[in-house]
Amino acid sequence: MKIRRSLAGVAALATTALVLTACSNAPGDSDDDATGAPSASEAATTGGTLTVAETNQFFSFNPNTSNGNTDINAKVTTYPTRAWFNYVDGSSFAAGNPGVAKDESFGTYEVVSEDPLTVKYTINEGVVWSDGEPVDADDLLLSWAVDSGHYNSADGKVSYFDYAGDTGTLALTDFPELGEDGRSMTLTFSEPAADWEYALAAEAPAHVVAKKAGLADGQALIDLFTKLAPTAKDATADDPELRKVADFWNTGFDSTVLPSDPELYLSSGPYIVSEVVENQSVTLVPNEKYSGDLTPKLDSIVMRTIPDATAAVQALKNGEVDVISPQPSADTLAALEGIDGITVHEGDQLAYDHVDLTFNNGGPFDPATYGGDEAKALKVRQAFLKVIPRQAILEAIVTPLKADASILNSQLFVPAQASYEDSVANNGSADFPGEPDVAGAKALLEEVGVTPTVRILYNINNPNRVNAYTLIAAQATAAGFKVDDQGDAEWGSRLADGSYDVAIFGWINSGVGVSGVPQIFSSTGGGNYNGYKNAEVDQLAATLVKTLDLDEQANIQEQIDPLLFADAYGLPLFQSVGIDAVADRVGGIEAYNPSQSGVWWNVWDWTVTD
Amino acid sequence: MASYVLRRLGVSLLILLGASFLVYQLVAVSGDPLREYRESNRPNKEALMQARIDLLDLDTPAPLRYFSWLSGAVKCVIPGQCDLGKTLQGQEVTDALSAAIPSTIQLVLTATILAVVIGITIGIVVALRQYSVLDYSVTFMTFLFFSLPVFWVAVLLKEFGAIGFNDFLRDPSVSVTVALAVGLVAGVIWTVLIGGSWKRRGIVFAGSTLLTAGILWYLGWSQWFSYPGLGPGIVAGLGVGIAFALTALLAGLRNRKALYSALIMVGLAVVAMFALQPLLEDPSVWLVILLGIAAVGGGLLVGRLMGGYDRGQSMKVAALTSFLVAGLVLLDGFMQAWPEYFKLTRGRPIATIGSETPNLNGDFWITGVDKYTHLVLPTISLILISLASYTRYSRASMLEVMGQDYVRTGRAKGLPERTVVVRHAFRNALIPLATIVAFDIGGLLGGAVITENVFSFKGMGQLFIQGLDHQDPNPVMGVFLVVGVTAVTFNLVADLLYSALDPRVRVKA
Repeated sequence: MKIRRSLAGVAALATTALVLTACSNAPGDSDDDATGAPSASEAATTGGTLTVAETNQFFSFNPNTSNGNTDINAKVTTYPTRAWFNYVDGSSFAAGNPGVAKDESFGTYEVVSEDPLTVKYTINEGVVWSDGEPVDADDLLLSWAVDSGHYNSADGKVSYFDYAGDTGTLALTDFPELGEDGRSMTLTFSEPAADWEYALAAEAPAHVVAKKAGLADGQALIDLFTKLAPTAKDATADDPELRKVADFWNTGFDSTVLPSDPELYLSSGPYIVSEVVENQSVTLVPNEKYSGDLTPKLDSIVMRTIPDATAAVQALKNGEVDVISPQPSADTLAALEGIDGITVHEGDQLAYDHVDLTFNNGGPFDPATYGGDEAKALKVRQAFLKVIPRQAILEAIVTPLKADASILNSQLFVPAQASYEDSVANNGSADFPGEPDVAGAKALLEEVGVTPTVRILYNINNPNRVNAYTLIAAQATAAGFKVDDQGDAEWGSRLADGSYDVAIFGWINSGVGVSGVPQIFSSTGGGNYNGYKNAEVDQLAATLVKTLDLDEQANIQEQIDPLLFADAYGLPLFQSVGIDAVADRVGGIEAYNPSQSGVWWNVWDWTVTD
Repeated sequence: MASYVLRRLGVSLLILLGASFLVYQLVAVSGDPLREYRESNRPNKEALMQARIDLLDLDTPAPLRYFSWLSGAVKCVIPGQCDLGKTLQGQEVTDALSAAIPSTIQLVLTATILAVVIGITIGIVVALRQYSVLDYSVTFMTFLFFSLPVFWVAVLLKEFGAIGFNDFLRDPSVSVTVALAVGLVAGVIWTVLIGGSWKRRGIVFAGSTLLTAGILWYLGWSQWFSYPGLGPGIVAGLGVGIAFALTALLAGLRNRKALYSALIMVGLAVVAMFALQPLLEDPSVWLVILLGIAAVGGGLLVGRLMGGYDRGQSMKVAALTSFLVAGLVLLDGFMQAWPEYFKLTRGRPIATIGSETPNLNGDFWITGVDKYTHLVLPTISLILISLASYTRYSRASMLEVMGQDYVRTGRAKGLPERTVVVRHAFRNALIPLATIVAFDIGGLLGGAVITENVFSFKGMGQLFIQGLDHQDPNPVMGVFLVVGVTAVTFNLVADLLYSALDPRVRVKA
């Protein structure tokens, strides 16, 4: 009883105390007791800061190693802190002509001759790293040495740089000729290479790599490369000096915090890293030594890691971040639509889902099953493709995200590209319309006289693929196929083993260039899981990667496209939808960029208004 | 005793070995480590896959790979020799852990302490009022919170606690309707809490409703939410309240010496508030801790000097009062920094993600407020979900103790109810809770995996998830090792503690 009474007393006392003195810090007297606080805060107002939310954690200042090659490292390092001859133009995807934009304030490159293909790269005078060291020949040569894989021995036993990109294109070049001016380099290709323009990429500062590997300076590195170039292909043992260089390049720039040595995060681009909070944020500020045209407009850019999509959306709503690129889903989109003061950009990702049929596993689509009778196998394949309800799949998966989405009708082009219309008109995709043709499929199967069992492989953990499978299986069963559900979480490791007849999965394009085409469709391609083999396609694909002219490239791809439909290779389903959302205070981010750099591709154009 | 401890340690070691083997295998079979490359049509995907295979040593079967991990992990027994391997990002797992552990502790420690204190308090109170409206409503609420999924609570908290509150701060005035509504809720809470006769309930309800509504309206009107502060007046007023409350609880108001020593401490604290003004302009963390210790020491000294037949009580009350009032002074300091912090965050002070605002570079007060605005939501969500178990345990344990013979004896010999409850029953009721708290500390380092994820905290939980996502066993095993070892250790500690606290329980050697 006593406790109760005193509790009441305390309550009353506490509340009256509050009332009695609540006025102590009212705005009237806030002027007197706020000694110095308001004046200090005036100056600290962060007008020019833009905050970008990203999914992954930053961990390396070298995004070109196979380990450091995560989107976030490239976003933070490549675009803001590396000036280069060209960069992938993020706005070109929506316009339908993926390509690069040149930055002539850094340097120029020109095709000196087309046969043999010879390209001369020249860096402008006065381009410097943020420590004052000029960007010149040693940097060009290091880029070439890494991107060409030239110093790896032919038998694969000696291998130096752990490069994430494709060395195939620059492997066609011999040791480059360095210019007299010390800032130019000429590359000569042994045969034409279609993707030459994307092959040479900005690398780490050569003088730092040289120094950290125990060499005197950049010139010593050039000498080392020159010395080893002729014998590299036949090397049987590591060269100790180059090993040190490569080891440093491979791991020396990895750091989850800001290194104490500023040489490890030099910049030649408009911004430079000023702060890294482990696994949480990276701050970029203008690079004072930058003299190019892509001048920075912000006081600082902060990248914050937010893995959870809902958390990112709420952080945007709360004004903690200004730009987010969440995983697209109907929920996320609905949440974004409820927020005032932001703009949502929708676009097509470079990824597309597709159905592939297996040609070489002794299954229903393999001619060998019918004693080598190509025609019979083709009919069975066509029958299966006819029952794929592509429109229904699209409506179940993509339409909720993008109302005007349409089914993809080409294996090689996407609707934004100019050639798409042409190709679709002639590639035979009209034989497989969006609506399933069960009767047609039945007729084909009766012609052959089989009721085959098809094993369908898909990722059981991906709801979109499960959806697609369910819709396809229903139609296929109606047409007389016996469907064997092979949905598997480990589907990825089964892709190459032929243990299925149909696979539903997605391809992710690298963005620009044509090297990806033979990868999937030529009989020896690393991504050719379904044993597709067509001599004509092989030959066209081989020609494609040697073709320099863009129109001619499109022309060859338009020849490949119909062959794939005629062979009933499989069917493309739809392009995945990508989104980003930008607060209205941000300027310079106008459209969705599907390539790996995301919103970061024109970081120098970003502005904020408050 | 020694042989018991040794035996327990031996068994724990075997358990850790077995569990680590199991966890390693589970991580290894949890997915496809090459998944990210499968769908790529990059020309060099074969090379990338090979690089990943080499990095994770995938050609060795997982059961064998475990032993190569183990051979590095056993070296952890020797300080400085620990080799837990590297993460996929090439970072040493030991480094990743040493970055993650403080972050997790920061997140979970406050929440656990608060949950324990609040949970036990509620449990004791409802035990004393068994089967009352209060009892039923608390049970209902705690179980409601207990059953809510944390990611959903987090989303709601962010929507209303951060986004909504920040919107409110843009123009922080309270309309009469809102003030009355909040007042009504407060009225109901106080009525249920204080109870008593119907007449008394009516008075409490009306009084607290009007009072709360009035205060709220006044705070809005005086722009207190934009320029918060306590000032010496409120500190003194609240301090006196605290002094009375603590005396009533710990010593009884009849113990005038205790009451006076507590009041003296309140007076001293208010004086110190002015005297230390220049020192608190930009203090270091250590200075603040030192002042806290000084506050407690001063309380003890004053209590002792007051003398009397029961010095201990005076010392206790004075020290606790002084500590809490010092806390109020500190709070006032943080409140003074609020307007500046408000501007630094562009008027959106309460954060929904992360543990700090990047590049803030503020003084002690600003960084303190920054920590607070980032921790408040995750802490609340963690408290809400863990409140239920503490409440239920302490309620049950208190009820059991209150039914014991010695409690009846205490009452029979004429002890005041306060003494019976606080001195005789409460202490014994805490014994079984010691075990539970020790267990929870073991689980504490495991982090709040989901909470960390939704609030973007980069602690142990994130390390665990990231590792699992890429089928990268090293970070997962690192987290497992830390959590496993603490869990096993604290289990042992709990057992030993129990026998130390309760003489009836003896460890059999």
